[in-house]
Amino acid sequence: MMKKKKIIWVVVVLVVAGLLFIPFHRFAREHVNYMTATTDHPLKCTSCHLHMADRGPVYDLVNKTYISPYNLAVSPDGSRLYVVGQEANVLLVVDVADGKVIDKIPVGKRPHTVVVTQDGKNAYVSNQWDDNVYHIDLTTLRITDTLPTGNGPAGMVLSKDGKYLYVVDSYSNEVSIFDLITGQEKRRLLAGVNPTGAAISPSGKWIYVTSRRVLPRPYRQPLSTEVTVIDAVHQRVKERKKIRDAYLMENAAFTPQGDLALITLTRPKNLIPSIQVEEGFMMTHGFGVLLPDGRIIQLLTDEPNAYYSNPFDVVISRDGKKAFISSAAVDMIQVIDLDSVRALIARSTPEELQLYANHRGISNRYVIRRIPVGSDPQGMIISPDGKYLYVTEKLDDKVAIINVNTLLKEGQIDLGGPRKITMARKGRRIFNHAGGTFQNQYSCYTCHPDANEDGLIYNMAGVGMGRNVTNTMSLYNIGKTRPYKWNGHNQSVYKQDGYRFSTYLTRTEPFNYDDLDALVAYIITGIHNPPNLRYNPDGELTAAQKRGEKIFFRTHTKDGREIPLKDRCYTCHPPPYFTNRQLEDVGTLAETDDSIPFDTPDLADLFLGAPYMHDGRAATLEEIWTKYGSEDRHGIVSDMTKDELNDMVEFLKSIRDPRYYTRDYSEEYKPLLEHIKIYDPPIVEHKKQH
Amino acid sequence: MYGATDYDAIKKAAGDMPVYGHWKSFTTENGLPADKAYCVRIDGDRVLVGTNHGLAVYEDGKWTNYTTKDGLGHNGVLAIDVSQLTGDVWLGTLGGLTRWSGGSFYTFTQLNSGMPNDVIYSVICDGKDVWVATGGGAGHYDTYKDQWEIYMERNAPMHEPWTYGVCAGDGKIWIAAWGGGVIEYNTKTKKFRDYTDPDEQMELDVFPDDGVVHDITTGVSYADGILWVATYFGVNRYDGVHWKTYFDKDSGLLSNFNNFNRAVGPVVYFCTDKGLSTFNGKTWISYQRNENNTGGKVLITNGPKLTDRVKTTSYNVHTSLSHNFVLGVDANEKEIWIATSHGVSRGERIK
Repeated sequence: MMKKKKIIWVVVVLVVAGLLFIPFHRFAREHVNYMTATTDHPLKCTSCHLHMADRGPVYDLVNKTYISPYNLAVSPDGSRLYVVGQEANVLLVVDVADGKVIDKIPVGKRPHTVVVTQDGKNAYVSNQWDDNVYHIDLTTLRITDTLPTGNGPAGMVLSKDGKYLYVVDSYSNEVSIFDLITGQEKRRLLAGVNPTGAAISPSGKWIYVTSRRVLPRPYRQPLSTEVTVIDAVHQRVKERKKIRDAYLMENAAFTPQGDLALITLTRPKNLIPSIQVEEGFMMTHGFGVLLPDGRIIQLLTDEPNAYYSNPFDVVISRDGKKAFISSAAVDMIQVIDLDSVRALIARSTPEELQLYANHRGISNRYVIRRIPVGSDPQGMIISPDGKYLYVTEKLDDKVAIINVNTLLKEGQIDLGGPRKITMARKGRRIFNHAGGTFQNQYSCYTCHPDANEDGLIYNMAGVGMGRNVTNTMSLYNIGKTRPYKWNGHNQSVYKQDGYRFSTYLTRTEPFNYDDLDALVAYIITGIHNPPNLRYNPDGELTAAQKRGEKIFFRTHTKDGREIPLKDRCYTCHPPPYFTNRQLEDVGTLAETDDSIPFDTPDLADLFLGAPYMHDGRAATLEEIWTKYGSEDRHGIVSDMTKDELNDMVEFLKSIRDPRYYTRDYSEEYKPLLEHIKIYDPPIVEHKKQH
Repeated sequence: MYGATDYDAIKKAAGDMPVYGHWKSFTTENGLPADKAYCVRIDGDRVLVGTNHGLAVYEDGKWTNYTTKDGLGHNGVLAIDVSQLTGDVWLGTLGGLTRWSGGSFYTFTQLNSGMPNDVIYSVICDGKDVWVATGGGAGHYDTYKDQWEIYMERNAPMHEPWTYGVCAGDGKIWIAAWGGGVIEYNTKTKKFRDYTDPDEQMELDVFPDDGVVHDITTGVSYADGILWVATYFGVNRYDGVHWKTYFDKDSGLLSNFNNFNRAVGPVVYFCTDKGLSTFNGKTWISYQRNENNTGGKVLITNGPKLTDRVKTTSYNVHTSLSHNFVLGVDANEKEIWIATSHGVSRGERIK
């Protein structure tokens, strides 16, 4: 009897399960098909529903905090390495002889660079997301002082006499100069756009500061990026060298002789359609040579059918004969023979040197070795005796040791990061690596440095050449702001980065589904915004920002007329992400655009810089209205005075990533916002409402 | 009247006031881009001149000129200041505020930034802050915060938003406001107060030394604890308590029509339509070009005001200003430069 009952139960369960399985499977298939924009993506629920949590217990369960070593310094006696752990917010002290981490000093948020004084007794660590520099006593390994800086302190350099510290403020585009005797900031100098690296000449007279983003220029005109030349004697900007057609100039180094200064660079051809990727001409990579006579020579490290993308750091051997460049997106250290470079420059005509900037057929004349290293090599340093090159392998949590004479990787220092490689970590490796692009031409990171955007405008050449040029979009908060693309056609990151991505962007085979799962997991969960410390350091708005907030949430014009709901700022840009995720036409279509509405962008990253609008034609926030929005289609602005527009712009610049907010906008503006419809994206196609 | 170029006598009569002579003038014939010069600023070993055809820089005996082709906001350069903090040059033009730094130009306009108006009459750097007096109000740019504030009749005690001059010192900003007298802004309390003409008379000064001589002010300059005010109707000295008023009829001031003023240490320089007047509160020395030759006069008044005992003494000199309509001035221990409606002049300080 019991047995019969059991059999009946089993049968019932099987029948019910069978009956449920079919519709569930069908639903799951439709759902996955819609979200991935394919029909054969494996039905692996955990891909999304476990690995896409961007915070909370599930996030904590499946993710790890890695060290992500970024830049490093070496003690004057060569016995210790000081390694910045960018993600773990630590400074690691490494015993070189033992190859072991002997101390971990907690530092500020998102540490960037460490420099050590000549006597080896003090270190300075720039905390990019805390707007300060820590002074660390290396004899006690304790933090002894905090130096407030400009916004986003990154690269640093000590003056030759050790009395001054130059700190590159990467977000506010400045260089802070600290008097280390008083511990006070003496002055700030204007740098290029998004400056990061700094190097001092052997004489101590000149400091070169490299920038990543391009200088303001007329719309759709060729680009240039600045190397700021600081006269360290007078602490003044002496010159602003414009490096033509190049950007992402991460770092610089001088030869010991001072006859050459090298900068890393990438040369984007963003004014031509992306079809040129297949012609091998969209992104090239190399270095710039800055000569004392003022000449600037650009040389590529790429080859005719192979690219060595995302050059990050450059260091030069003690004898001035070799330069090492970490090519982050191909996991290589490229070794440049500088005597060959000197000879090439000496025997070439100015016309030839200009030609070399685009010539991928000559790198074999000066690139003498390519040394494979671990994932995402970044900062480098040469030991004081000149024998070893240390390289951070950022996404491996290790430091590679390379023999400078044999040019062989002789070892590796394990910094003790988590052993497990999470889905998001794997995705980050894919994001940063150029392997998914035609001949390794670029990685996702190239156009989305720090997962933000590169400030350039591209023609993806989908439907027509020269049509629908688009401003690169930031990836911050991307998990909360679908749909994607300016036309809103992509309902998920899967679709965005799936096979269409390979058609228009990478121009090679699409990512396999395991890699795509990982990539999407990283993009959704692993990208974090910098805090908006320049415009909104503590959540308390300034008087001007408060006035601007009132304008943003206004319902009536100044003369008392009610503003139609569709024309109010908050209707399309409601908090917390300041987008309703809907398509709108705000009168900004260009003649070269298809007649389509645009996906309303979120506003959380406005503070990070220009350009603005779908095609990047607005060089400043003001221009959105003063030049391109005067017909009251992009909000009602015609009744506003100049100071009121200023106030609104100040409010827009104050907007931060919601995870940094302490305010509850939905409660504060409840009567207004409860009527606002934020588009709730469908999860299967037949429910599509949009 | 003394004989030509008797600098010993002039020096003796001048007391502790600086005396300038051996004037040399520059026009388009010498390399200036235009004869009309609006402003001048000495910056170390070089001199910056704003003309109506661009910026001219005099260095190592040569003029180098910059125009809109180089990135200048407009070729009409009305005001210049150099940041002591950064060495950057800020240029007030008829088409925006241009920052000249490390050889590169960047222009803030009313369309691309929060700047109030593109016509910049005056610019000064106060540490990290830059202030402008414009045709649409005064503007304050905080270079560290990248933030503009506009001050006009709606949020400051101004009669209208037209402002002509701005200066800074001891935690205060003073704005010469057209029709609004002098506006004082306290940078700590962020409060305004205004100084207007107490007698409210446009054509005459009813009570002497009672306040700003006129509500239409053209320049303000602060040094050594003294605020100096220029108007088209006379000038003022304000020590924080007392106002003093000076006219051409009762002092050594050459003319009531003052385009600009600049104070350097204890000495103020007034740019008038009849030449240059200098004053330290005790002694006036004025410089005026002759109408019919390149020589001129040095006029010394040993007292703040003319009285029966205080008279003006005139000295003839061989060289003088390039023109008597003076629009800008700057001076240091060694020399003085003036901008006029017809050329630029350099005067050597007589030791």
